[in-house]
Amino acid sequence: MIDNNKIIETLEKKIMTFGGDGKTQNVGIVIKNTDGVITASGLSRATMGEKVVFDNGNIGTIFNLDEDNVSVILLEEASGIKEGDGLKTTGEMLSIEVSEELLGRVIDPLGNPLDNKPKIKKGKSMPLEKIAAGVVEREPVSVPLKTGIKAIDSMFPIGRGQRELIIGDRQTGKTAIVIDAIINQKINKKPVICIYVAIGQKRSTIAQVIDRLSAEGAADYSIVISASASDPAALQYLAPYSGCAIAEYFLEKGKDVLVVFDDLTKHAWAYRQISLVLKRPAGREAYPGDVFYLHSRLLERSVKLNKENGGGSVTALPIIETQANDISAYIPTNVISITDGQIYLQTDLFNAGIKPAINIGQSVSRVGSAAQTPTIKSISGKLKLELAQYSSLAAFAQFGTELDAATQKQLDRGKRLTEILKQPQYSPLMESLEVLSIYAVTSGLMDDIPIDSFQRFEKEMHDFAKKRYPKILESLSTGERPTEQTLKQISKLIEEFKKRFG
Amino acid sequence: MNRKKIDKLIAASYEGDYLNQKIVIKIASLISRADLKKYINGLKLVEKKRSLIVSSPIINSELRKFEELFPHKKIVFKKDPSLILGARVVDNDIVYEFTLQNSFDKILSYIEQNYD
Repeated sequence: MIDNNKIIETLEKKIMTFGGDGKTQNVGIVIKNTDGVITASGLSRATMGEKVVFDNGNIGTIFNLDEDNVSVILLEEASGIKEGDGLKTTGEMLSIEVSEELLGRVIDPLGNPLDNKPKIKKGKSMPLEKIAAGVVEREPVSVPLKTGIKAIDSMFPIGRGQRELIIGDRQTGKTAIVIDAIINQKINKKPVICIYVAIGQKRSTIAQVIDRLSAEGAADYSIVISASASDPAALQYLAPYSGCAIAEYFLEKGKDVLVVFDDLTKHAWAYRQISLVLKRPAGREAYPGDVFYLHSRLLERSVKLNKENGGGSVTALPIIETQANDISAYIPTNVISITDGQIYLQTDLFNAGIKPAINIGQSVSRVGSAAQTPTIKSISGKLKLELAQYSSLAAFAQFGTELDAATQKQLDRGKRLTEILKQPQYSPLMESLEVLSIYAVTSGLMDDIPIDSFQRFEKEMHDFAKKRYPKILESLSTGERPTEQTLKQISKLIEEFKKRFG
Repeated sequence: MNRKKIDKLIAASYEGDYLNQKIVIKIASLISRADLKKYINGLKLVEKKRSLIVSSPIINSELRKFEELFPHKKIVFKKDPSLILGARVVDNDIVYEFTLQNSFDKILSYIEQNYD
C-alpha cells in the first residue's frame, strides 16, 4: 500500500520545484507499419536499441537509424499502430527488472508474468544487451556442471562457464537432455539457478516443460522465459538476451547459473524475418550478414568469473535443430564454431533405442575435461575412444566376415558400454552411481550379464548399493580419485549383487 | 528521381522564407506521382523545421518572448488548457515541457515505479 503522507510529501516537493524540472522529449510520427516494423520520421536524437513509446502505450526499440527516418521493432501486437501516430524516445535502453522473485516464475522476454501468479516486484534493471566480461575478469573453467547423464558426464563433461551446444534433428531428445540437466541441479547443496529460454516453440510444448520442471521439484530454482511461435518475432529475438540479462543479475551475486536456449535456430529465423522486413541485405540462406554476431555476442556472455569478481558463472546450453542431420548448414556451423563443444544427437541412434542418442565420434567438449572430477575421469578414461572404435568396427562386422578373438572382444565390450550408457528420460544420476555403472562394465564385471538385462541389473544394483554400501557411494561422491581399496570394495559390491541378481 | 534532386526542387520552391505558389504548382505538374509524394513530404519536413509551436493554457504577451528567442522561426501559438500551467514548446521533433501537467505525470510515474 502507498503511504498517503509520502504521496503528499512527494507532491509538495514536486510543486516546490515546479518550473525547474523541464523535460525534453524527442518525438516522431509513424510513416508506415510493416508487420511489426515501424518506419517513423523525426526522432533525430534517437540511439540504436533505445526504447520508444507510442501514443497508445505500445513499446518498441530502435533497430535502424537512417538519414531521415528510423525503424522501430514493436514488442507487442502491431495491429493498433497506424500511419500518423506519434511516438517518443525514452532515453532508456531495453532492460528487464530482475529480482529473486523471478525464481519459479514463467515470464515473457520483457519480464511480464505469464503464469497467472502475483505481480513480480520490481528489482534491479538489467540491460538486455551488454558487453561480455573481459579476459581479466575471467578464469578457466574448472568446476563441473553435472548433468546426471552418464554419457555426457563421462565423455563430454560440461564445466561451469562453458558453452556446450546440443545439436540434432527434430525428435532426437535435445530438450530432454537439458531438462535432465536442470532436474539434476537439485542434488547440489546450493542449486545452480536454471533459466530455460523457449524461443519459437509451440505453447503446448512449453507448458509440458513447465509441468515437468514443477513435477520434478526443479521449478523453485528455475525461471522460464517464453517467446512462443505465436509471439511477435521481436520478442523471439529478444528472449535469449533477456535470459542472459537475468543470468547476469545472479552472476553479480556470485551465483552459478545455467541458461538453456531452446532453440537458436528459431532465434535466427526470427532475426532473419525482422532483417528482411527492415530491408537489410540478405546473405546466405537469406540470413543477414550479422547473424554470426547475433549468436557470438549472446554466447560470449557465458562466463566463469574469477574470485575477485565474485566467482560466479553462467553456463550456456544452446540448442540447434538441424535438417536431415546436416550440421554443415549455415547456422549450425556458426554456433559450432562459437561454442566450446557440441553434443550431436542422431535420429538413427534414437530409432535404434540408444537414448540419449549421442553420436560419440562427432561430439566433443573442448574445455569440460578440465572440470571433470578425478573420480569420473579415472573411471571413464578411455571410454570415448573404445566406443568410437566400436562404432567403426560394428560397421565392418555387419558384413558377416569372421572376426579374430580380440576384435570380437572389443565388439562385445562396445555393445555393453553402449548399453550401460543408455538412460531413461527424467532420471539423472548422482556421480557416484554413474561411476558405479561405468566401472561395472569397464572392469569386465558385467561381462557375464546378458545385455537385455542390463537396465534392470543397473537399477537394482544402484538400489542395492544405496541400501547396503552407502559408504562406498559417499567415498565416490568426494570427487577424489578412487583408491585401490575403494575399487576393490566396488568390485566386491558388484560381485555380491550378482549373486543376488536373478 | 533521387533524393538529391528532390531536395533541389524543394530548395527552389522557396523565395526567402515563403513558398512560391507558382513554382510549386509548376513542379507538381511536371513530376510523377511517386516523386510528388516525396516532394510533399520534403516540403512538410522543411515547414516543420522552420516553425516552432508554443502551447499554453493562456496566451499572453509573455509568450511573445519566444519570438525574440527564436528569431528565424515561424512561431505558432496554441491554446491548450489541459497543460494546467506553463508552456510546451515543439521545435521540429524536440518537445520542451515546462508544464504542471508534466510535473503531475512525473509524480505519477514515480509513484507507480516505487510503490506496488
